[in-house]
Amino acid sequence: MQQLLREKHIAYVQSLDKHQESFEYWLSEHLRLNGVYWGLTALCLMDAKESFNKDEVVEFVMNCYCESTGGFGPFPRHEAHIHATLSGIQVLATYDALDVLTTGQVDQTVQFIRGNQLSDGSFQGDRFGEVDTRFVYTSLSALSILGKLTPEVVDPAVEFIMRCYNFDGGFGLCPGAESHSAQCFVCLGALAIVGRLNELNEDQLEKTGWWLCERQLPEGGLNGRPSKLPDVCYSWWVLSSLAIIDKLEWIDYEKLREFILKSQDSKKGGISDRPDNEVDVFHTLFGLAGLSLMGFENLVPIDPVYCMPCYVTKKFKKYPY
Amino acid sequence: MHGVKRKQWTQELLKQKREQDRKRIIQYRGLVDKILDFRDAKVYNLGVLKETTQLLRINPEYNAGWNYRRDIITHLSLELNQEFWEEELAFSMALLKDYPKVYWIWNHRKWTLENHVDKSVKIWLRELAIVSKLLQMDARNFHGWHYRRILVTKIEERTGQSRAKEELQYAVDNTNKNISNYSAWHHKATLIPKMFEKNEIKDKKKFIQDEFAYVTNAIYTDAEDQSVWFYIEWFVKNHIVIDALGRDELIQRLQELQKNILTINEDDVLFSGKQNNWCLKVLIVLEDVQRNLGVLFTPCSHEYLKE
Repeated sequence: MQQLLREKHIAYVQSLDKHQESFEYWLSEHLRLNGVYWGLTALCLMDAKESFNKDEVVEFVMNCYCESTGGFGPFPRHEAHIHATLSGIQVLATYDALDVLTTGQVDQTVQFIRGNQLSDGSFQGDRFGEVDTRFVYTSLSALSILGKLTPEVVDPAVEFIMRCYNFDGGFGLCPGAESHSAQCFVCLGALAIVGRLNELNEDQLEKTGWWLCERQLPEGGLNGRPSKLPDVCYSWWVLSSLAIIDKLEWIDYEKLREFILKSQDSKKGGISDRPDNEVDVFHTLFGLAGLSLMGFENLVPIDPVYCMPCYVTKKFKKYPY
Repeated sequence: MHGVKRKQWTQELLKQKREQDRKRIIQYRGLVDKILDFRDAKVYNLGVLKETTQLLRINPEYNAGWNYRRDIITHLSLELNQEFWEEELAFSMALLKDYPKVYWIWNHRKWTLENHVDKSVKIWLRELAIVSKLLQMDARNFHGWHYRRILVTKIEERTGQSRAKEELQYAVDNTNKNISNYSAWHHKATLIPKMFEKNEIKDKKKFIQDEFAYVTNAIYTDAEDQSVWFYIEWFVKNHIVIDALGRDELIQRLQELQKNILTINEDDVLFSGKQNNWCLKVLIVLEDVQRNLGVLFTPCSHEYLKE
């Protein structure tokens, strides 16, 4: 039986910022703040938070804060985007350092997020209008962490999400779009954050659960849509969705565990999308997060709704306030 | 990183890569800094636009670059002619061929069409033909299907005419080509109830009867594939079916389907020694539907759940 290579994964995550001599490091600038969140959360799950230097990380996050809009960009000087904004807030919350933002800055951030909500309740990622249920989740999660949800934001957002529920029980990226496991996570997660899972009746939830558990393939891994290859990141998107609707045990734990552990790089650490592929911090986090949800490997418990350690999220104010 | 094979780097290879990377990084970071400096100085001209072309070719995920590019185009829009907008479309098409799964490119293409100097429906219809070709290369591309639905909405808005019939035909053409194309089954399941509601289907009864025949054919074609099973589970429970057929005929169709599924399952047992899980699951669904219709029968669901 494969073992979790904890020490190697810690070393791998820790080394990520030391790859500045590699061209790929610079090509992934647009995901850097997200990468910091993925890395920090992975370390937290392995109880190795101190492997990152808190002061340096917080300073980097604040360098990504965009004074003119109130949002966060993925890298200093990049433009603010809803996705990077959530990552920035998540990292600060994980370090219990949200107070580095002044009240004025928080107000600006809230305004940035709310300013991206459209009249149908959906959210665009930034001023150029890409709409996706991912951004509804991102926005509601960020506002929730800041304790700034209001019915004016929540009610239309919930209505929009419910329009994305599909014939098969899954959710799409917008009304009419095909079901996808990651969109299931963001839609169910968003409903859970605002305490509105009861918008879905028993039959609907049953259907969602059925569609989700059929994502498991004979080799144990989970896929994102029917007839697709398994991928470690779906260990998170599918499992967290099932956890949110209380049907986690509809998956074969042992087989999934084996698939995740087989996707580890035994030489340099880290986890890849599937066995023998190149590792990255994104799949490293979601592999560990899946293992944590299933209660394996003595990992720190993760919150399926926020994808952050439970010891952090238990401090968040529950909506409705 | 998705689908990239793990590479074992030897010291020698790593040294070579570092050497190459050193030069590429200097060039790339120089380009990025130059563009961001222009952006901060609010420079909007065709010269800088060309610089962003160069940057986005190297890194099509550089969102701040896309945003600045659109700001430049917006500032210059009064001077930009048909030829410019067509070149802009050609630019994103060339990138999509190499990176068909990058959200930013699809998004930019949509923005380009929305802001194109040609406001007629022609460019949207042409785009629909283009996306059909792209979907031929990857019939499950999530972005392609999503983009297709955006185009259809735009065309319908501009012409005031529904394209549901053409879209349904497109979905059926796709399932005919490959019965496991779940994206196409999804497209169908989304269109049909809307078409029923808007009376866009003339003979509803015949439509439903044909659909029963089609799905039966599909499960005989590939009983392992989950696409058609999910579709059946939805279809038999949908009110359009009972509305069109009436209770008695629906029961008859359900029982025929049941028989066919039992036959397929028996064939699987004969062939592989194993029952077909999907057959069993959907047999349970069919019993449920009949129970809700008040049909009296001896349930076999305990049999189906045996394995």
